[in-house]
Amino acid sequence: MLLKFFIFPLIFLLCLNSIEAQNCNIKISGIIKDLHDSSPIFGAVVSINGSDTLTQTAEDGLYFFNQICPGKLIFVVEHSNCNSVQREVIVSENTTLNFTLEHHINELEEIIISDNVVKSLKGSAKESRLNSDQINKYSSQSLADALNTLAGVSTLKTGNSVAKPMIHGMYGSRVGIVANGIRLQDQEWGADHAPTIDLNGFENIQLVKGASALKYGGDTPGGTIVLSPSKLILKDSLFGQTIINASENGRGGSVSTKLMKTTSDGYYLSSQFSGKQFGDLQAPEYILSNTGVKQMNISMKLGRSKILSGWEVNYSRFQNEIGILRGAHIGNIQDLLRALKNDIPLRIDPFTYLINSPKQEGVHQNFHFTYFNQISNKVKWQFDYNYQANNRKEFDVRRGIPASIPAIDLKLQTHNLLVNLKWNTIFSLDYEWGVNGIIQDNYSNPNTGVKRLIPDYLKYQMGSYFVGAYSPSNSFSWDWGIRIDQNTWDVQKFYDVSDWEERNYAGLFPDFEVQQFGNKLLVNPKLNFLTLAAQTGISVILGEQFSTNLTYVLSQRSPNASELFSDGLHHSLATLEFGSLSLKKEISNKILLNFSKHKGRFKGTLEPYVSKISNYIFIGPTGIEQTIRGAFPVWQYDTTNASFWGVDAGIDFAFSEQLSFDIDASYTYAQDLINSQPLISIPPFNSSQILKYTSPKKQFDFELVNHFVTFQNRFPEMNFTVNTLNDGLIIEELVDISTPPSSYQSIDFNFSIYFNLIKQSTSSISFIVNNMTQTKYRDYLNRMRFYADDIGRNFQLQFIFSY
Amino acid sequence: MKFSLNIQYKTLYLLLSLLIISCSKDDPEPINEEELITTVQLTFKSPGITDQTVRWQEGSNNSDIISLAANTQYEVEIIFLDESDPSDIEDITEEVKEEADEHQVFYQFSQLNISLGQSSSDTLDSNQNPLYVNSLWNTSEAGSGTVRVYLIHEPVTKSSSTRDGFAGETDVTVDFPINIE
Repeated sequence: MLLKFFIFPLIFLLCLNSIEAQNCNIKISGIIKDLHDSSPIFGAVVSINGSDTLTQTAEDGLYFFNQICPGKLIFVVEHSNCNSVQREVIVSENTTLNFTLEHHINELEEIIISDNVVKSLKGSAKESRLNSDQINKYSSQSLADALNTLAGVSTLKTGNSVAKPMIHGMYGSRVGIVANGIRLQDQEWGADHAPTIDLNGFENIQLVKGASALKYGGDTPGGTIVLSPSKLILKDSLFGQTIINASENGRGGSVSTKLMKTTSDGYYLSSQFSGKQFGDLQAPEYILSNTGVKQMNISMKLGRSKILSGWEVNYSRFQNEIGILRGAHIGNIQDLLRALKNDIPLRIDPFTYLINSPKQEGVHQNFHFTYFNQISNKVKWQFDYNYQANNRKEFDVRRGIPASIPAIDLKLQTHNLLVNLKWNTIFSLDYEWGVNGIIQDNYSNPNTGVKRLIPDYLKYQMGSYFVGAYSPSNSFSWDWGIRIDQNTWDVQKFYDVSDWEERNYAGLFPDFEVQQFGNKLLVNPKLNFLTLAAQTGISVILGEQFSTNLTYVLSQRSPNASELFSDGLHHSLATLEFGSLSLKKEISNKILLNFSKHKGRFKGTLEPYVSKISNYIFIGPTGIEQTIRGAFPVWQYDTTNASFWGVDAGIDFAFSEQLSFDIDASYTYAQDLINSQPLISIPPFNSSQILKYTSPKKQFDFELVNHFVTFQNRFPEMNFTVNTLNDGLIIEELVDISTPPSSYQSIDFNFSIYFNLIKQSTSSISFIVNNMTQTKYRDYLNRMRFYADDIGRNFQLQFIFSY
Repeated sequence: MKFSLNIQYKTLYLLLSLLIISCSKDDPEPINEEELITTVQLTFKSPGITDQTVRWQEGSNNSDIISLAANTQYEVEIIFLDESDPSDIEDITEEVKEEADEHQVFYQFSQLNISLGQSSSDTLDSNQNPLYVNSLWNTSEAGSGTVRVYLIHEPVTKSSSTRDGFAGETDVTVDFPINIE
């Protein structure tokens, strides 16, 4: 890479000298652009065949020759990352010759994600992407924490370490996570299951609001998060990066290192490792006992990318262990009430790195093989096979049972096969067609001694999609797509005979019954869901300053394993949660608009959206069940009709080259139309403001970030009462689990110094302070809010070495 | 090109067949639920009075009524049972006694004046705190009310006079009506 910058200009200079002083003075100039997004290509070499005349494009893609003789000439345009292009031209006068190069052909990352639909979003606001610098900043945190910086994305948390991304008020199965071109299959249905993925393995994270990434599935009305690895450079090179974080809060840190070797004949080999450990975190006034975390990830990939074909084998393993706040483990609703009434957690122990029950352990392994072949100039096909094994264990505080035996032990294995054919015709029409087959096997280990929360099942999915894009000019594009999927479930589940009868399943599904074992009934539900997804969008760029796009998305989602089958006690809220076999598919219609304006120092985006969902699946209270631990609220999955609307907005203003101010804000409104009440767990209005100063030569910068989250005044009432016995009297007391916590504000500070260890790669040292003012707050979207304050101030040092 | 395509199809075929082979599923086995308590049983003994046993059983939702005599001392024993499988009834009390440090039995009375005392046959934890698996109840005047019986897991303290004071998680909380005559 380095070489290129020196040698080509050198050749260029030498060539200039050797041009003979003929009587030739025709000027030829032009611009070399990227075929995909029309961005100028820097460093392309333009030469004239049969002569030693050559030049290189400048940063704006422009090249020029000024002493060309008339005649028939063959122009050759070459770039290390592109297919070369030749064109025969008869030159008789000053001429403009523009070329487009297929710039992405060697960059596997782009090949995987550059489906047409995503492409149309590339030009849109900065909000939809995180680059490697932004990802590095969150190296010691989670994917959801990094995404939280984008307008419209919130984080649904259980404590600090279990964080799920939420887009437009939706999470879990309504948000897809795509890594290396394949959907992550990690039991995303649970509100307290964090995505088992390490963001350090990726260099680019793209947020696709709406369900427009049909290639990866059509069942995510919230949106899709697309994670892509680093780009490839087809040169002999070896480079790497190491990130070290040290944090005061939690007295821990993380190390992440990656190394990549590429060769000029297209081979590449890369490996990545990251590990982190934190002890108990600290709220402003107390230790959050048992909130430590351990995580370790490795990934390796080997591949070869030639211009017209390539393959890659990729393996990654993610492992974590997350402590759940000890004070949040409760036995019944009296315990819950006691925790709610207490300002501080009921149990605070001295700081430790030990992680005891309750805790979660996860191991996610991912194997991926991909092959692509450009059959002709216009047709390319790609084959992907992916295998994922996700093992999740949850450990509860239990009596008389070794701590090493989990209460939940699920193994989810998924095979995913994707064949994609991509072709383009004249008039800027691109098409993509593909088939996607998924087989998923869930196994619930019976040795837990606890009723299976999720049963054993096999799930088959067969889908096909067809997407197209028409982009006649740089300022207009129209894209559309449809996808159809057949989902088939083959489940084996034990029901309590009393539950089976009480829910009238005996009458509704007599065919499912297999065999009775005492008071348990083995049933074999076979369920089928046919889902259809479609989307269409137009993007228009009006002049230099203003662009807009309009997207309509239809998505249909079949219910997930938790919604259909969950069965048991949820310890964090002392509720009995039950799935429902009668659920139908959820149908969402969503319209998204985007307006962007970029004028000089001002950049603004406004993204309103509205959606209507029929058969919206939610869980709500339905009754009380008397047990030996007292009365428990029973929550059951059900459907309703829902409407959502909201606005994400952002303004960036640069006062000067050095000083800039960004402001982001988003608002979501969600209403249950049948029960005429707000939906639960919808992010309240929130905004963040960033003031940033960058030194003139970019040696250092500092940043001040203010987060502001308002009180969510729209919430459903889910309260219940419990009778307590105090001073010899039995009284009814209200358990308020509905009222959201008050608004809060927190301030982060960030100071970074940049330097070069070697030329062309920037290293940095940063000093970061989160929650600078030790704000004591609880967040509505954190399920631990009933038990403890959110974490307090954190001082962090971060070193990034690039080499 | 033709040759390489051929190889691609073979690979595809191979992977597809692997996929199909890898899918076969055994019947799941029923889970033997552990650490379950389904029954609380209290036995009242007092010299010269017939022993009385009352039970609270999961699913029945109705507890027996405790009938006590006024101004009398009773030796009360509590046991916890797992009767989910009627052919294999387990006595959980033994586990509770073994893990005396992590457990506490606690009684709360409503509208009754009963004083609770330590029994010499009670189990003590490592700090000599009574577990109250065996306890002495001293009744006074006649009346009727309720006793709430708790089994607390991992209490923060072992000596408290209120349920809130113990903190920890509630493993059992059941009410028995009491009549004192």
